Amino acid sequence: MESNKKYWKGLEELQKTPDFVEKNKGEFAEPLPIEEVLNEAGLSTITPRRDFLKAMGFGLGAVTLAACQTAPVHKSIPYLIKPEEVVPGIPNYYTSTYNGHSVLVKTREGRPIKIEGNPNCLLSKGRLDANGQASVLDLYDVSKLKNPVLNNNERASWAEVDQFVVTELNKLVGKKIRIVSSTLNSPSGKAVVADFITKYPNTKHIQVDAVSYSGIIKANEVSFGKAVLPHYAIDKADVIVSFGADFLGTWISPVEFNRQYVSNRNGASLAKKKMSRHIQFETGMSLTGSNADARILIKPSEQGIALLSLYSALGGTVSAPQKLTNNPKAAAAISIAAKELAGAKGRALVVCGSNDTSTQVVVNAINSLLGSYGTTIDLDNPSFQHAGSDADFVDFMNEAKRGEVGAVIFLNSNPGYDYVNPKEFTEAINKIPLKISFADRKDETASLCQVIAPNHHYLESWNDSNPFEGYYTIGQPTINPIYNTRSAEQGLLIWAGNPVKDYYQYIQNNWAKTVLAASGKTWKELLQTGSVYLGAKPSATSAFAGDVNAASQAILTNSSNLAKGASKDTVELQVYQNVSIGDGKAANNPWLQELPDPVSKVTWDNYIAISPKYAEKLGYAEYDLVKVTKDDYSVILPLLFQPGQAQGTISIAVGYGRTHAGKAAKEVGKNAYPFLSFINGTLQTTSRVTLSSTGELPYELARTQTHHTIEGRNIIRETTLKQYLQDPTSGTGKHFQNKVGLWKEYEHPGHKWVMAIDLNACTGCGACVVACNVENNIPVVGRDEVRRRREMHWIRVDRYYSFEEKGNSVTEENEINHMEDADNVSVVYQPMLCQHCDHAPCETVCPVLATVHSSEGLSHMAYNRCIGTRYCANNCPYKVRRFNWFNYWNDSRFENYMNNEFTQLVLNPDVTTRSRGVMEKCSMCIQRIQAGKLTAKLDKRKVVDGEIQVACQQTCPTNAIIFGDLNDPTSQVAKALSSERTYYVLEEINTQPGIGYQTKVRNTAEA
Amino acid sequence: MRSISLFLRSVTKSLILFTTLTFTGVYVSHAQSAAEGATLFKQKCTSCHALDKKVVGPALKGVSDRHKEDWLVKWINNAPSMIASGDKEAVAIANEYKPMVMTAFPELTPDNVKGILAYIKAEETKPAAAPVAGPVSGDGSQSASNGEVSNFELGGVIAIAVIALLVIFVLNRVIKSLERVALQKQGVVLEEEVASGPAFRKLLKNKKFIFFIVLVLVIFLGSAGWKGMWETGVHQGYQPVQPIKFSHQLHAGINKIDCQYCHTGAYKSKNASIPSLNVCMNCHNYVQATEKYNGEISPEIQKIYKALDYNPDTKVYGPNKKPVEWIRIHNLQDFAYFNHSQHVKVAGIQCQKCHGPIQTMSEVYQYSPLTMKWCINCHKETEVNHKGNAYYDRLIAAHSKLKKGEKPTAAVMGGLECGKCHY
Repeated sequence: MESNKKYWKGLEELQKTPDFVEKNKGEFAEPLPIEEVLNEAGLSTITPRRDFLKAMGFGLGAVTLAACQTAPVHKSIPYLIKPEEVVPGIPNYYTSTYNGHSVLVKTREGRPIKIEGNPNCLLSKGRLDANGQASVLDLYDVSKLKNPVLNNNERASWAEVDQFVVTELNKLVGKKIRIVSSTLNSPSGKAVVADFITKYPNTKHIQVDAVSYSGIIKANEVSFGKAVLPHYAIDKADVIVSFGADFLGTWISPVEFNRQYVSNRNGASLAKKKMSRHIQFETGMSLTGSNADARILIKPSEQGIALLSLYSALGGTVSAPQKLTNNPKAAAAISIAAKELAGAKGRALVVCGSNDTSTQVVVNAINSLLGSYGTTIDLDNPSFQHAGSDADFVDFMNEAKRGEVGAVIFLNSNPGYDYVNPKEFTEAINKIPLKISFADRKDETASLCQVIAPNHHYLESWNDSNPFEGYYTIGQPTINPIYNTRSAEQGLLIWAGNPVKDYYQYIQNNWAKTVLAASGKTWKELLQTGSVYLGAKPSATSAFAGDVNAASQAILTNSSNLAKGASKDTVELQVYQNVSIGDGKAANNPWLQELPDPVSKVTWDNYIAISPKYAEKLGYAEYDLVKVTKDDYSVILPLLFQPGQAQGTISIAVGYGRTHAGKAAKEVGKNAYPFLSFINGTLQTTSRVTLSSTGELPYELARTQTHHTIEGRNIIRETTLKQYLQDPTSGTGKHFQNKVGLWKEYEHPGHKWVMAIDLNACTGCGACVVACNVENNIPVVGRDEVRRRREMHWIRVDRYYSFEEKGNSVTEENEINHMEDADNVSVVYQPMLCQHCDHAPCETVCPVLATVHSSEGLSHMAYNRCIGTRYCANNCPYKVRRFNWFNYWNDSRFENYMNNEFTQLVLNPDVTTRSRGVMEKCSMCIQRIQAGKLTAKLDKRKVVDGEIQVACQQTCPTNAIIFGDLNDPTSQVAKALSSERTYYVLEEINTQPGIGYQTKVRNTAEA
Repeated sequence: MRSISLFLRSVTKSLILFTTLTFTGVYVSHAQSAAEGATLFKQKCTSCHALDKKVVGPALKGVSDRHKEDWLVKWINNAPSMIASGDKEAVAIANEYKPMVMTAFPELTPDNVKGILAYIKAEETKPAAAPVAGPVSGDGSQSASNGEVSNFELGGVIAIAVIALLVIFVLNRVIKSLERVALQKQGVVLEEEVASGPAFRKLLKNKKFIFFIVLVLVIFLGSAGWKGMWETGVHQGYQPVQPIKFSHQLHAGINKIDCQYCHTGAYKSKNASIPSLNVCMNCHNYVQATEKYNGEISPEIQKIYKALDYNPDTKVYGPNKKPVEWIRIHNLQDFAYFNHSQHVKVAGIQCQKCHGPIQTMSEVYQYSPLTMKWCINCHKETEVNHKGNAYYDRLIAAHSKLKKGEKPTAAVMGGLECGKCHY
């Protein structure tokens, strides 16, 4: 049975706006400016024949002269003393640590060029998210400081800095010293801070995170007497109910959660006829919400009440039971969720993204009722990934304002940008005599400090981390420091006059006492594996001891404040982190800026997400520039019509509007941190704001979602769990047995490289896109070029909306005109890349045979043969070919990492950089295939399945992409493609793609 | 052009050889054994001994005076056993050079040893000649290579000469007719000039002849132009002057050092890699060629020491290291991927197949054209070395073309596909 359900990428496609129709006519949105050339400065101006001939003559002569030089002389400079482990041309891999995840760093001739997850890592299991993949570029960032800064002298020496700091620190008598850092979970780093405190006893270490989890930590203290961030085990949960927690996108530990979440929903799980159920209550469309089986819209003010009513529905007693009277849909969903949760006690999990202590107390109460503690939530082996305390930082601010603080040291922390009130912060720290920052660049906070002691990038320094109880990872430097920087911990050691001056030595000493002693392993052994797990502590019983009634009171007050004075222009605002930029620390990374937001597909900007219907009611059109005001802070941002945004609410992403981060982050979006509210001792992501029209011209967001559409052809296949259990092939559509073709059949005697992509495992996180960028030297084109539909990504994750089906009925196309349906959309993500068709339409039309088929099933692309007719892109039904409109690697107009001598170092030497006028596309990481084959040949053996991994597959946190040799019947990919759920996109046109997709299965409960 | 220069070089070489031979033949009596001894000396002895300088072992100058010939033969054949047997002289030497022990060379016949000794003796007698001879021969070959003219230059010179002649001829004609016009104006009626060569004139007026000449010119210039264009960017024969006059002839040819001793990457990586200087130092911390330079360390070897800031007396590297900037000879375009290990280790191809008679090159030049045509031709002709390599088993078994009886060349196995080299 084939569904004729309508899938659409954006509202403009749905409504067929004239602009969309016009731009979508051809493969390329903009016609060539031939008219302009002919009519304007081109031929019509007086170009005398003589001038023309002169120019011709000069050109001919110049070319002739230039050609006289035989060849440029290339130098070859070998090592003087070659390190034994380096063989030029062969990469070395080292273990290191990124953000608590153990990683493998690929280096070529001594420079790191790619980060991959370490298969030994308990958090990532060898996978990594987009941020981790992109982090290698920050190493070479030219916006970083090249030397320490002392009193605005940008060429200070370390000796001067050390002398100044030590003298100044010793001058402070009776004044307080404060070290302000983001979460510090490095055991050695903590020990260094402790040693510093011993030397300067007036010191206190304050941890503060831009996006804080202190509500959860406090709630656990109130409820169980354990002030910890628990370690969640989503893989043990059969029913997951999330209230605004974007655990697949940004919440606590997304890489780990992605893997755990999909382990109950992927092919292996479905084969066991098992699939978890996920219900999401949220305001804006998050990555997690878009993957949920059921998604219910609630306003931020309704979140606490929804939790309270769920608590009552589960049998919890509360003095004043609450009902969601204004939102009957959510109220009904709460009772369904309660029933499902109650039916899965011990296998259920409720999480909430709120940073409000009272709300989290209610969540704890619910989880306690469900028996989640000890099963899906571990309080005794907590996570140390976030430990910031909002209240501590506010205390520090008050101390500073009173003039009690004599010195402050900022470590990996930037409150000048991400504190709720930057002005107040500036005033407060201006009262501190000695201000020191370890920032790697002159960021918003560091520019207020006298001393900037630039810290190493994580690939330049020794480090360690302890992301959760019992799990330790080692960070290893893989390159000599690029600039004159120094590890922050080393600085603290020197300033504290520690007898151990070398941080490397310090870590080893520290580990010898702790981890090495406990694990019985040597430092070198651990350096090889990268991490060590000392085992879990036994979990004690946790009896809930919180006060739900008190929490309920606080929630109600908070909620009524949020909903108060509901006039035409005041709306509830939800501030969130998006998947690519996160909290804004990596805002200067062009790879991340150009990674489209998974849901809205916007690049290079933040925006106001609003429901189309609600915007219509307020009288705004899409992309209107609107002013958002809270108290005395306001920003002007464009409106973005987001299907699935709750009525009466807007959402704005943090992490944008950096002023001091560097070239790429400059003038990208607006800062949304000041919209946070400090309530009951925590910073909360909700507030009440006023919208007002600016009357300015609409702002064009660089949005990729409707680029490369597939002309309304039905390329998504989905089914429900119920149908799947009856018939595993349900929803895969008709299988075409088209014997007639224009093309000859290819023989694949050796390998047949193919790929399987499980739509049910893909969560749309975008890690594959960045991994592909890094591996294949894909240029960044910048906002303007993305607006012209010229982004270069070889793999894109298409996001399709469809209207929620009622029962089994098919949504009629004309229902689309009713905007209210845009609230209830379901989402499917589909990674789309070159399908390596056996009958490739692109290959047939190339006039110069620049793209041809190989005997291994790949569609090859010879760049130096391509003359740029672009016929192939025009003829590709999957829209996966990309044209180089410029020499991106050598053009200073682009925010590109390729056009300066530092960031160029990140390029993969095994892949050519493409020149202007050349077509490119996914090569299936042919450099990796060739390298893998060669290794096998050198060892005189067959290629082992799994030995060759393409970049997107390697990093996919959920293992949704499987690559391999179809000619090997035992390979993972052959097994995956033999699944009943497999279908091929556009197989009806007989292109015989090499990539098979598996249907999306939804666990929609017809309760 | 390469072939011409090769020819020139071989001519010069044979000339030099001929003169040297006649020279030496006149007054060196035991030339035969001394010449053989010279080769053996370089192969076996120079790694530890110099003629006039103590290196690892003693200086060999005057060794025949210090020891009897019979004793020396025995000693060189098996020194350790002589020391063990308690021979007085042997023990004395062993004590002096502790812990180094003279290596045994059982493969040398008494005649071989005598040859070596003869060579040493001969070298002693002409102390001044040796240092002059070395550099002269080196410079000679270098100037030959530098004086070499490229295709382009040669063609250019000829073309310029031809054009100049034509211009002179035409100008001459113009002047003559102008003169005639001027004279006519003055009223002077000239008699028809008596044709100097009536046959030549006739020929010039013969259309068939003119057509033939034009045709020849078109063919000649056209083919020359075509060839020139076709070979643009092809640098076959490219032989730049390197910062160190490293001789493959000496190292790979005479000393027979295996290629992969220095070019370790060739067997495991895409880059054959130029050896780092610490590899040179494996030998050259004692091989200093002092016998050629009056006891001084060879200036070329000194360049290594300088780059490494190495002190030969203390034998330590200093802090002021400076890398050697070799000039790259084989410049394969960036868009073509070439992997040495695939060709050398997997396919088992000799280095000489692409790099030419490297063991005879005192200075390396580009032997192969490195064009795509050249690559493709080889891929079409060369059979894949699949025997005993399990990787190829399935491919060989499943390939329909092989079943039809085609040879398993690289091309048949997919070695001509674009993506095998271009990505």
